[in-house]
Amino acid sequence: MRNNDVTTMGAAPPTDTPPTDTSARPAPRTRTPGGNATVRRYLAAFRTPRGVIGLTILAVLLLTAVLAPVIFPHGYDQQTADSLRGSSGRHLLGTDELGRDLLVRTVYGLRTDFSIIVVAVPLSMIAGTALGLVGALSRVAGAVVQRVLDIILGFPGVVLGVCVVLIMGPGWSALVVAIAIGGLPYFGRQARAALLEQMGREYVVAARTLGVGKGAVLWRHILPNAVDPILVGGAIFVVVAVFIEAGLSIIGLGIQPPTPSLGSLLNVGIRFIEQSPMYILGPTAVLILLSMSFSLLADALNETVIRK
Amino acid sequence: MLRFLVKKLPSILLVLFATSIIAFLLPRFAPGDPAQTIAGPDATAEQTEAIRQSLGLDRPLFVQYLTWLGGVLRGHLGTSYIFNRSVSDLILSRMESTIELAVLASVFMILIGIGLGVLGGSTRSRPGRMAVDTANTLLLATPAFLVGLLLIVLLGVTWRLLPVSGEVPLSENPEIGIQYLLLPALALGLAHAPSISRLLQTTMRSTRGEEFVDLARAKGASPRRITFRHVLRTSLGAAVVAIGIRVGELFGGAIIIEAIFARNGLGQLAVQSVNARDYQLVQILVMGAVLVAVLSQLVTELILAALDPRVRLDA
Repeated sequence: MRNNDVTTMGAAPPTDTPPTDTSARPAPRTRTPGGNATVRRYLAAFRTPRGVIGLTILAVLLLTAVLAPVIFPHGYDQQTADSLRGSSGRHLLGTDELGRDLLVRTVYGLRTDFSIIVVAVPLSMIAGTALGLVGALSRVAGAVVQRVLDIILGFPGVVLGVCVVLIMGPGWSALVVAIAIGGLPYFGRQARAALLEQMGREYVVAARTLGVGKGAVLWRHILPNAVDPILVGGAIFVVVAVFIEAGLSIIGLGIQPPTPSLGSLLNVGIRFIEQSPMYILGPTAVLILLSMSFSLLADALNETVIRK
Repeated sequence: MLRFLVKKLPSILLVLFATSIIAFLLPRFAPGDPAQTIAGPDATAEQTEAIRQSLGLDRPLFVQYLTWLGGVLRGHLGTSYIFNRSVSDLILSRMESTIELAVLASVFMILIGIGLGVLGGSTRSRPGRMAVDTANTLLLATPAFLVGLLLIVLLGVTWRLLPVSGEVPLSENPEIGIQYLLLPALALGLAHAPSISRLLQTTMRSTRGEEFVDLARAKGASPRRITFRHVLRTSLGAAVVAIGIRVGELFGGAIIIEAIFARNGLGQLAVQSVNARDYQLVQILVMGAVLVAVLSQLVTELILAALDPRVRLDA
């Protein structure tokens, strides 16, 4: 159960390439000229071909979702007499079983998905990192936390979601909690790997010998070095989060119709697949674009930020 | 090997123990009276009282847990008050469908994963690598349910080659059954393949730089022999671990695939039980899913330990 750090998320950055380039930097990066170098390193990622494509797709999706109320001021619930129609000039992606425009519903669905990601992923990253770094303050607490993360990891993603839904009832908040908990072992292990790797370094030993407290060492030396892999991991985890939303909503345990989300649109669309194969096309395409943009960004970051 | 197993055992038991506590607490987390929750909304007052008696709900929580766990361990999985059948009956009746799906999906996953991995790890032409990398990235960005939806639209609705909804058990009619099974299993297998192929590919590429490969090349071994005999064999360990983790995830993924392809397996049973708030059933299904995931990991770690003595000695 220890070897799966690399494989659980499919594309996790290899653990054997520590961020050696950053480890020599002694001071907090935001206040020194090194801070600019950090920003430059991240900007370089967005200039690679993958970074450019990923960022462009993401920007278009994000803009559309944010501006949805401006572009489609009538909301996602406007019904017409034409139900389950294919693509036409008036309804680019066709209409659903109640004659509602599917392009509008897909864009609003994307909005729902973004609202989940924006809350759940940072929550998971921060909590997971904190849990992973607990070991620096107390060895026992660190070991206990690792066991707890092992237990969460034992639950296949959907099963964890099912348990959360049973307790909280289906909906937006259950999805956020399921995603946030599901990411804890992932970020926790990455933070702990960075912790163990930095703890043995000479400058950390030196700082400790000079009498710098455990908390200060953690905050000023170890955390800055854990940030890179965790940010890359965060980009990868967004893809996982989107799939958890869609998966749970498809089986009817996530966002409940009539509220659109990419998953809940698919949930209804599958039932009408014979009458209108067009129904699932929009949400499917947007899901693929969304996940592709984040995995391209993760790849780009992985290449430029971590491997040197 | 036995020592390796003994060392692994505590962490596995811990996961299973924690899972049993979570499963036990599930109906008790829900708002309201647990007896009422377990009995379902349609139960009469006498039925609810009978459940309260038989589960010992008036006794302390700790005693309730021990009674419940003792029953489960002895094979008394309880009765689903909502479906009005014993839980073991319900699970047995749905098991064949899910096992057929998971087995065929695993076969697809292993074949495609190792195939793509060897291709990506051995080709040295730039276009070849690009092609394999692109295939991997695309597959990685496409989870099982999306592959399933695309297969349904292409092969089920547009060309109508294979049935996409419902199922026929293989034990009843293998010829028709396999037609119903093919697409869901392919969707599930294809989606999980890239995590194996990417790992295998990376390992093979780095193994290629090892000295024993140079030696083999200097001795005049053919490229094919170097790939399969020298590089692949030493790189398989990582792929084996990835397969083990993925098999556990396959069962989780089966829940969604069964919903899309309208198959009546354990996944659908789980969804129905959650929707009906049938806690007796959910408890057992959650424990079963975790058990399968943990066991498949253990088996692969054992295989890996058998393949690679370093793992055995490290543990």
